[in-house]
Amino acid sequence: MVAGNGASREEEGTGGDAAAPQPQAPMRLPLVRVKALVKADPGVTLAGQEASFILARAVELFVETIAKDAYCCAQQGKWKTLQRRDLDNAIEAVDEFAFLEGTLD
Amino acid sequence: MAERPEDLNLPNAVITRIIKEALPDGVSTSKEARSAISRAASVFVLCATSCANSFAMKGKCKTLNASDVLSAMQEVELQWFMTPLKEALEAYRREQKRQEGSCDFFGKRDSETATLIGQFDLSCLLTRIVRQLLIPSFPPHPPKK
Repeated sequence: MVAGNGASREEEGTGGDAAAPQPQAPMRLPLVRVKALVKADPGVTLAGQEASFILARAVELFVETIAKDAYCCAQQGKWKTLQRRDLDNAIEAVDEFAFLEGTLD
Repeated sequence: MAERPEDLNLPNAVITRIIKEALPDGVSTSKEARSAISRAASVFVLCATSCANSFAMKGKCKTLNASDVLSAMQEVELQWFMTPLKEALEAYRREQKRQEGSCDFFGKRDSETATLIGQFDLSCLLTRIVRQLLIPSFPPHPPKK
């Protein structure tokens, strides 16, 4: 696990106990493209609207997370531009990204 | 139905924007890194979909639903996604109910028709009200000839 991220991720998970609903950031990814990826799986017959929406939101969270983890690796190397090697290091360091090994070449 | 390779990629501009917003100001990302993150995101969707589909099939359901996707997130050990995803789902459902509720005011109709008719009725009514306020002599009904 990349240093410092484990604690912050746990805190994010336990926070948000306020009764008032949190304002949501607008969805940036187009649902059409996410649905095209879902349909690419031959085992999937149909995907509900809510499923596509949640998946799109999950992808946004994933991109944010992997970018931040790669940036932590870049900081260790003391450079200000995120490089491909930082991403590879983040994938190697974080167990949850194990599914990406060998898929990005 | 054959998918073109470009259909399996997410829009580069959107991915770039998400990366930029996630990182501190002044940090740039190489083109190679952006491209790799975009591919990683596509792989993530395919992986999450496959996992969610397994849950759907276990429940003997042909349609993927939101709970299958949430279960998939736990399965791939991304538990910290659960809270923000559940909040997003609640907000999405509230928005869907709000949009459905605005059609009910005009009676039981096909929701699409109700939206169109409702918008037309509302715009006519608003136009009359505005005209009556701005032009006092404007008759509430057309004068009989």
